[in-house]
Amino acid sequence: MMFWRLVFQLLRGNRGRLAVAILAIVSGATVVSALLNLDLGVQNKLTQEFRALGADVVISPATGASMQNSTAPPSLMREDAVLPSLQRLQSSEVAALAPYLYVVARAQATPVVVAGTWLDQAQNLEPTWKLEGNWISSREDDSQCLIGRAVARQFRLAPGRALKIEYMDRFVECTVAGIVDAGGTEDDQVFASLRAVQSLANLQGQIALVQISVSGAAKTVADYTARVANALPTGVQVRPIRQVTEAEGALLSRIQLLIISMVLLILILTALCVLGTMAALAMERRKDVGLMKSLGGSISRIVGIFLAEVGVLGAAGGLLGAAIGVALSYWMGLRVFGTGISPRWEIFPVTVALMIAVAMAGALPLRALGNVKPAVILRGE
Amino acid sequence: MATLVEIENLRKEFGSVRALDGVSLRVEEGDWIAIMGPSGSGKTTLINILGGLDSPTSGRAIVAGTDVARLDDAGLTRFRAEKVGFVFQQFHLVPYLTALENVMLAQYFHSITDEKEARHSLARVGLADRAEHLPSQLSGGEQQRVAVARALINHPKLILADEPTGNLDEANEQIVLDLLRELHHEGHTILMVTHAAAIGRLADRRIELAHGRLANVGATALKPEPV
Repeated sequence: MMFWRLVFQLLRGNRGRLAVAILAIVSGATVVSALLNLDLGVQNKLTQEFRALGADVVISPATGASMQNSTAPPSLMREDAVLPSLQRLQSSEVAALAPYLYVVARAQATPVVVAGTWLDQAQNLEPTWKLEGNWISSREDDSQCLIGRAVARQFRLAPGRALKIEYMDRFVECTVAGIVDAGGTEDDQVFASLRAVQSLANLQGQIALVQISVSGAAKTVADYTARVANALPTGVQVRPIRQVTEAEGALLSRIQLLIISMVLLILILTALCVLGTMAALAMERRKDVGLMKSLGGSISRIVGIFLAEVGVLGAAGGLLGAAIGVALSYWMGLRVFGTGISPRWEIFPVTVALMIAVAMAGALPLRALGNVKPAVILRGE
Repeated sequence: MATLVEIENLRKEFGSVRALDGVSLRVEEGDWIAIMGPSGSGKTTLINILGGLDSPTSGRAIVAGTDVARLDDAGLTRFRAEKVGFVFQQFHLVPYLTALENVMLAQYFHSITDEKEARHSLARVGLADRAEHLPSQLSGGEQQRVAVARALINHPKLILADEPTGNLDEANEQIVLDLLRELHHEGHTILMVTHAAAIGRLADRRIELAHGRLANVGATALKPEPV
């Protein structure tokens, strides 16, 4: 109790001098937490981007090529030429697989992109989609569909409402099971069963592409891609998407290295600032230390009080700086990336711990107080 | 009465300067000794050695059964906390602590703090209503009374007062001397450095130092005249 009373009085009694140190700590903590939050935020954004891609492998007709014995238009593939091979290669590493056929149909006389797919695979293939309503559990269910957020807004639809989709002189009707918030082009699309869309477009047995989500590292994806490419006929292109993300990952590593270097530099500068203040304070406190020693205070107890004072400074400055830094990173995210970087709460303990460590490192001059001779100090020398 | 302080052939040198040159002395429990002499005669050095603030170059200085000359740093720290109470000419209060906290600081370094006892100690020196004041808000006399309260709080065997009234006006000097006289009557052992002969006469004995040597040891009246 007395210990903290002494620490509090030290802080209060030296607030003018300590203002410089706390300013340095708050400034350092602000920049450090902003950079760390930015770093984690950018990682998060890239991860989201990676997940938003959903599939790791996309199978589509090769550009300018046509499949052997194919009756499909060049931009389409026959599903019986692709899907049976994929079923044979099905293994535990395949998290989800769905064929797609896209048509531009009309709803309420307005053009809308309709994707025909296996709707039971949507949840696993697109794990980042936010859904209002229900997923569809059967790929055979022609009566239900999912619609993008923008479509729902445009046609004022809600889960449970009916949607009529027309294509030339044909139409299908489905009940909206759920509204998809994907944060991308999917928000402008309608997702119906593959069979329904094939019937609508009169493209029975035709698909535009197949998306496959593969669990595991890049090598697993590469191996699977190679197996699929071997199994499928010519005229089909098998593309692993993760390569793109890995390139972004390499860029991320360089950004992280830059950010960590800057954080280290700022920590060193902050420690030097605190060091300067503490060196001056150590000189001023020689008399107090001499007196405390004359009262029977051991140097470890006396310096312990001063270190606690510095620790409180580091913690308070770190906490305040972290809060400002997180707000700053949000603002920087808006200015630089066009989207705010969400606060990561783990930044707070990390920044506080770093600032306490920096403040302690800056308090090294206080060690010199151990050499104070009370008799000399009390004589006024 | 038992011997509280026993000094034998005590020497202290600061480089080529000999501050104490073979001082031998015995102080009984309950004594009030005035140490007198001109500046540079070794008065403060003697007090500092007896208080464990300084170490002698040679000789023995036994206080309450402990030879101060043989103590290491940790031993001296414990000795200062437990055996002696200091009153300095410059008061030496911690400026950012209140009067109460300055007293409690001595308790903290001794063992555990007891705010009630610290307040009682301040009340004893007439500062009950000034407990929450900072030293800068107290007069010189009040600051010195806080220092006396601090010196007494751990019930030390020996009170060492180095020119306790040297920085005080006449009225405050009288208050502090009355306090010392009271402590003496209660049986405390006091070693007091002073320049003033009138103050020295309040003590049971006067010791005069000159050039680091004991020049004269005299007794004063048991019932000292008012200063």
